[in-house]
Amino acid sequence: MILEGEWLIPIDRRTVWRALNDPEMLRVCIPGCQSLEKHSDTEFASSIKAAVGPVNATFHAKIGLTDIDPDRGYTIVGEGKGGAAGFARGKAKVDLEDDGEGTRLSYRAEVNIGGKLAQVGSRLIQGTARKLSEQFFRCLTEELSAGSGKPTPEQPAATAAAPSSTNASLVWVVAAILAVAAIGWWFAG
Amino acid sequence: MNDREDFTLIGRTVLRREDSYLLRGLGQFLDDLPEPNGLIHIAFVPSPYARASILSIDASAALALPGVIAVLTGKDFEGDVKTFAPEIVIDGYREVRRPVVAVDRVNFVGESVAVVLAESPYVAQDALELVEVEYDPLPAVAGIEQSLAADAPVIHEKLGDNLLFKTRFETDGFEQHFAAADLVLEEEFRTGRVTGVMIEPRGCMACPDPVADNFTLWTTTQIPHIVRTAIADHLGMAESALRVAAPAVGGGFGTKAHVYPDELIVVALARRYRRAVKWVQDRREDLLTNIHAREHVLGIQVAVNRDGIIGAVRLDVRTNAGAYPNHPYSCTLEATAAVRMMPGPYKIRNYKYDVCSVATNTAPTGAYRGTGQPSAFLAIEGMMDRIGRKLGIDPAEVRRRNVVRPEEFPYVNVVGVRYDTGSYLPSLERGLEMIGYDAFRKAQPKDRMVDGKYRGIGICNYTEVSGTGAPGWRVRGFAKMPGFDSSRLVIEPDGRITVYVSQADAGQGHYTTFAQIAADRLGARWEDVNVIEGDTSKTPYGTGTFASRGSVVGGGTIIRCSEKVAVKVRRIASYMLDIDPERLVLTKGRVCDKDDPVKGLSLRDVAETAYSMNNLGLPQGEEHGLEATDYYDPPMVTMANGTHVAQVAVDPEDGRVEIERYAVVHDCGRVINPMIVAGQVHGATAQGIGEALMEEIVYDAEGQHLNANLLEYLLPTAMDVPDIDLAHIETPSIDTVAGIKGAAEGGVTGALPALANAVADALSGLGVNITRVPLRPSFILEQIRKARGQVPG
Repeated sequence: MILEGEWLIPIDRRTVWRALNDPEMLRVCIPGCQSLEKHSDTEFASSIKAAVGPVNATFHAKIGLTDIDPDRGYTIVGEGKGGAAGFARGKAKVDLEDDGEGTRLSYRAEVNIGGKLAQVGSRLIQGTARKLSEQFFRCLTEELSAGSGKPTPEQPAATAAAPSSTNASLVWVVAAILAVAAIGWWFAG
Repeated sequence: MNDREDFTLIGRTVLRREDSYLLRGLGQFLDDLPEPNGLIHIAFVPSPYARASILSIDASAALALPGVIAVLTGKDFEGDVKTFAPEIVIDGYREVRRPVVAVDRVNFVGESVAVVLAESPYVAQDALELVEVEYDPLPAVAGIEQSLAADAPVIHEKLGDNLLFKTRFETDGFEQHFAAADLVLEEEFRTGRVTGVMIEPRGCMACPDPVADNFTLWTTTQIPHIVRTAIADHLGMAESALRVAAPAVGGGFGTKAHVYPDELIVVALARRYRRAVKWVQDRREDLLTNIHAREHVLGIQVAVNRDGIIGAVRLDVRTNAGAYPNHPYSCTLEATAAVRMMPGPYKIRNYKYDVCSVATNTAPTGAYRGTGQPSAFLAIEGMMDRIGRKLGIDPAEVRRRNVVRPEEFPYVNVVGVRYDTGSYLPSLERGLEMIGYDAFRKAQPKDRMVDGKYRGIGICNYTEVSGTGAPGWRVRGFAKMPGFDSSRLVIEPDGRITVYVSQADAGQGHYTTFAQIAADRLGARWEDVNVIEGDTSKTPYGTGTFASRGSVVGGGTIIRCSEKVAVKVRRIASYMLDIDPERLVLTKGRVCDKDDPVKGLSLRDVAETAYSMNNLGLPQGEEHGLEATDYYDPPMVTMANGTHVAQVAVDPEDGRVEIERYAVVHDCGRVINPMIVAGQVHGATAQGIGEALMEEIVYDAEGQHLNANLLEYLLPTAMDVPDIDLAHIETPSIDTVAGIKGAAEGGVTGALPALANAVADALSGLGVNITRVPLRPSFILEQIRKARGQVPG
């Protein structure tokens, strides 16, 4: 499946970038994130706990980075295993650019999912994914706004909606992508 | 005994005796059976991948859980259980064998990679989650086109491609006849992938005999004898050492008329551990691993003359076999059914078909109520409507012109199937009359829009293969399908009757209808007949209950068996009464002189003599006992028939199809119990409605199963099933015992095309072409918006 979305963060890119170097903040903002570990310059591991309808899983993700360009973006290759709950694997292209005073983050991910989550969670995933990605960006925005002393603005209309995926999306896939993205910044910074 | 009792029981509605316990919740289903001491509960670790190599299986965490006995992998079964395959002998078939638990490679999501043995079912479930399996995912194929693509990954490498079965047929001079017709109409139809969804999923429990080397397998099956033969074969056991018994079974629909790997596994484990072993399936496993059905692509070309009469038909059918052939029908069942049944009630004399079955990384497919026929009739009945639209002839009239007429029976169709009797034309006319067809058509506007909804009418005139005998199975390659069924009927010393039948009830009402049949033929009260079936230790061998064979073959053998016993009753009574046996009749619980009923004896009097329970001896040369055994192999097939007519309204605002009126005319030959036949028609029609409008198992392109739950696999409920106006026509078979034909599947076969045609008719004013099912609101709405030039939303 393809997952696409973008988010406006009303903070200048440099500040975003610096803030994203703080692993503790990422752990706070990635919903369900329990750990982020750096194994090498391009290899990371993360544990994310997610619940979709009747399925609970701790999702162990292995993440690799390619095409790293700290100012513009990179490609993330990730694979996550939730044991009996199933799996996800895929890659995401993440772009970061200036947008007026703020920063526009856009991503396009190709993801394969499987197992129990696909079988019994499909209907519930879209909503959960929407909720969790909103949580992540809102948290990030709030943390950065608090740091910069600026008020937290309303979310732009274009970004209030869920990532515009063409298929049912998976919360933990989104979470993983976000984790990957965050690790990417952290690393690249 | 009540003298006023009417003993003419065949054809009479009597209330189902099984309902007295089923409706009070007293039925003993698999999971209600008492559990032996030391019972081992098992659970299967399912593959999350559609195709992958198994790199490693780490069970250490699972084994550390208290209550876990063992975790076994495919390799642990290799010495015990042969790889699994049925014996199919037909040109174009390539055998693939399936390990009962995957070894090195998984080929569909849900395939078992390990078995957890535990002291309780809860521990087994918990342990499942702790088994860590490392996979190397491989490219997978899910759909038919994907599987046939030149660069498709080959699932069973030794075959070189994914074609498991391929065959063709062509009548003499076909191309000439095809070319001679005035015009050719062409279409491609598709049916969705569905499954039986019995109210009770499957389960089984194997129990070792404490003193001998014998085993009992309790299993939710429609085919206990075939299960026993398959297990004995694959486990290297003596058939005499294995008893296979079905408890009360909560629905089968063909899904339970297969042999499954778990049935082999529980017996193998019971043998290995000398403990009873039990497995009960949950709903996710049901939807993930039980036999799926349909998913056919049917390309059809009809060469037709201007008068609407069909000159020739060319059919190209492709079916999705799933990852492995099923047992015992392999991957040829729906394929051969679809092409062989397509001619249906119509006089199609020039016919060519090509059919294939392809391997994909999805669950194995097999028998489900209707088998091939709903798809075949979607195609041919869809073409009847297209012929009408193209030539400006009413679609009902197109059918009239092509149908086999009453005076033409017996009729042998183009693939050699004999239709001994039938009511194709009367059934069609009756159905049209019941729905008020002519008035509806007269009032129907060209754009089909009435009161804000598109309204249409659809017809399906179908034949229904039933009661298939050995020749019918052989011709389709089923080398080890017995075809016959059998019974043993005993008049007990008290004059009451026990009949043992080789069938296995899954809710059809055998305990009532079979009692009616035996009582009818022996002049007894049906309440005095006890029916025992579904147990290989009690009944003689037979095929089982599927493919609309219960009443034809089970009923037939009971009639024959009753008549054998009646001969002995007359012989003994003749001796006791000193009346010529030819003069004696069995009626009202007595055997008596046909002209002077006062001269007679009760069945009990005769039975007491037979069992040496009085001072009378038996005639010279007569053996004790009062019983007989019968094996009945019916004709190749017997064809039931019927007509479904559906009137629907399609809401252009939400795409929903509402069934406004529904008429069924049903002809299953001699009716045994009209209420039970009506129940069969209602239930099957409901399943046809589901298949036409909502049910579909969805796999994505990677072979991931996306709706293994009943929130997303939609079943029709009471809200979706309309009142069904039902009429019976009785045209007895001249080939089967007592003229009985089957009744179980026609409802699905009739409903699916009737509804597709009705929706197509409703949307014909818009120019929408309906060629597939299910017709869900989202799909219909998209079609309407496209046709109206609106952006699909």
